[in-house]
Amino acid sequence: MTAALGQSARSVLACGEVRTCLLPSFQALDGRAAAQLLRLRADEHVRVSERPTMYALSPEVLTGVDCRLPTSNGSKVRAVGTVIARAALTEGRLLQSTAYFSAPAAGPDTRRPWGQYLVRPGLVEPFGKLPQQATVEGVLRGAGRGELDLGTIAEGLLTQLRRHALLDRRVPFKSRPTHLRWVARRQPEGERASLTNFTVAEGGLRTMELRLPEDVPAAAAAGLCEDLALHDWLLTTVQQMLDNSRIGAADGPSVVEALHPVVVHLLHLWMPRAHVDAALGHLWDVLEEKPGFSRQWEKLSRRIRDRLALQAVTMPHQAFSPR
Amino acid sequence: MLIFAASDKGGTGRSVTSANLAYHRALAGDDVCYLDFDFGSPTAVAVFDVADAREAAEDRGLHAYLIGEVSEPERIDVWAKTEHQVLRDPPPGCGRLVLMPGDVSGGEFATTDDNLRRCVDLLMKLYHEFDLVIVDLSAGRSYAVDMALEATAQPEMSELTARWLVFHRWTRQHVAAAASLVFGRRGIVAGGVHRGHDEEALRGAIRFVRAAVPDPESPLWSQVSPTQSAWMRKTDGDLKQLASTAGIGYSQVLGSVPLEPVLQWREQLITDEDVLDSQIANQETWTALSRLAARLTDDKYWEEA
Repeated sequence: MTAALGQSARSVLACGEVRTCLLPSFQALDGRAAAQLLRLRADEHVRVSERPTMYALSPEVLTGVDCRLPTSNGSKVRAVGTVIARAALTEGRLLQSTAYFSAPAAGPDTRRPWGQYLVRPGLVEPFGKLPQQATVEGVLRGAGRGELDLGTIAEGLLTQLRRHALLDRRVPFKSRPTHLRWVARRQPEGERASLTNFTVAEGGLRTMELRLPEDVPAAAAAGLCEDLALHDWLLTTVQQMLDNSRIGAADGPSVVEALHPVVVHLLHLWMPRAHVDAALGHLWDVLEEKPGFSRQWEKLSRRIRDRLALQAVTMPHQAFSPR
Repeated sequence: MLIFAASDKGGTGRSVTSANLAYHRALAGDDVCYLDFDFGSPTAVAVFDVADAREAAEDRGLHAYLIGEVSEPERIDVWAKTEHQVLRDPPPGCGRLVLMPGDVSGGEFATTDDNLRRCVDLLMKLYHEFDLVIVDLSAGRSYAVDMALEATAQPEMSELTARWLVFHRWTRQHVAAAASLVFGRRGIVAGGVHRGHDEEALRGAIRFVRAAVPDPESPLWSQVSPTQSAWMRKTDGDLKQLASTAGIGYSQVLGSVPLEPVLQWREQLITDEDVLDSQIANQETWTALSRLAARLTDDKYWEEA
């Protein structure tokens, strides 16, 4: 029995969803305030690191689930277990929440007492065999009604945090949240983790597929995905602000006004793989190669600085004077 | 900014006019989200011509969200999903135009704490994402109006700028009904104060929009007999007098939309093509909508009278 349990607990798949948004606070939070915000549990501390960027990670909270898995082929597989949710705040400015779980290749055909699920946090066991490919596609496509919806859990946590009394609920500029859905297939220990797919879809959706060695915990994959989601949000948001017609066609102080929030709140946030597990850091190289995240960021920041410089040259007196 | 669109009765053109305002603002470069809170009879899907997208979304609209059946209401990207030929090619530089549809099967429902919580969360989130959030409320003193008043009265919403447009037609009954909807004993102001709104602030955030107003000077009526013409002018003057007495006179009006067959019959967005190419819609209507759209955020029109 023990052996059977041990066998079934080994996961073949990890899935998650990250939501990224601007913290609804006019001022960025400092480390202490960040720790206060992310204190989701009284019994565990918030991890705050100040170097190389200010980054706070909440303790994990569990959500018990007993529902169908999202599947692309319509097969109805009931699954029971717990989903882990956690939140992170970067530089007191960007708020993220992640919900993720791991699944074994097969599970028992009956539901067991809760205690047995609780001792394996973050594991969701299917009734019978896990339809791996269909689940991967189902998770990436998004859950239907009545299916295990990671987005709901992540969004629920985000909503809870947005309501926190610490926040003044004012934003320095308007921005669009993004969500990244990810799946990681397990592969034998010792092989190198790899990134097999990253897509940018409409409506702020991104999807990502990974291969993850068995010895790398799912939390590390969640951390990598949070890091990617954060930088993708930065690129998307700044690009959108630059594309906005009012900046493109604008002239005079309105350019300064429009670019001001980018300079004050966003430009310094670029710091890829600052908090990514060492076993996964190299996956960034793939994205740096193509499409070239940092190259694009370089280009965007240069464009902004050039615009501002041009403004200062053409109108040295008005450009930066208070209006 | 949050804009709530209310009306005294059905048939005032509230939905179609506010949808056109959303369209104009998006054309001008704003990111706009339009919420169909007309729970009894959601019409925005028809106005934006996104029936297929609505079909694909099943019943995951605002109604299902507010009663807690889905975690997020469906969003429809109007530029991408509309079946309207002209809207499919928005000009460069325009902002996003997103519709959150109601549910076909959803009716009116009472405001519970949970519904209210979800409503506040949603409005807050959209406020931080979009330049303009337009909420189309069911006609009359409906649950949707109650929920909007209740939501905006919550302390965490105090930082948000919310404004109210009350649409009414240019007739004796409608003028009286609109005044009563706002200032009556069970009106919006009284209901808002009851929920914790500051009366002065709430009054200052409400403006009226006169819809389907026949302009006696318009070339449309140039062929009528002198008697008719004189009568029209007199009636128009009487109505102005009546509106003024009822407290919804000139200073409380954000703008008027002329009587426009295209708005009345087709209930769709009026595009520049309708005005310039096919010329089925009047230039005056386009100008009026454009003016009204600009005034939504022009503080000059929202100062104390």
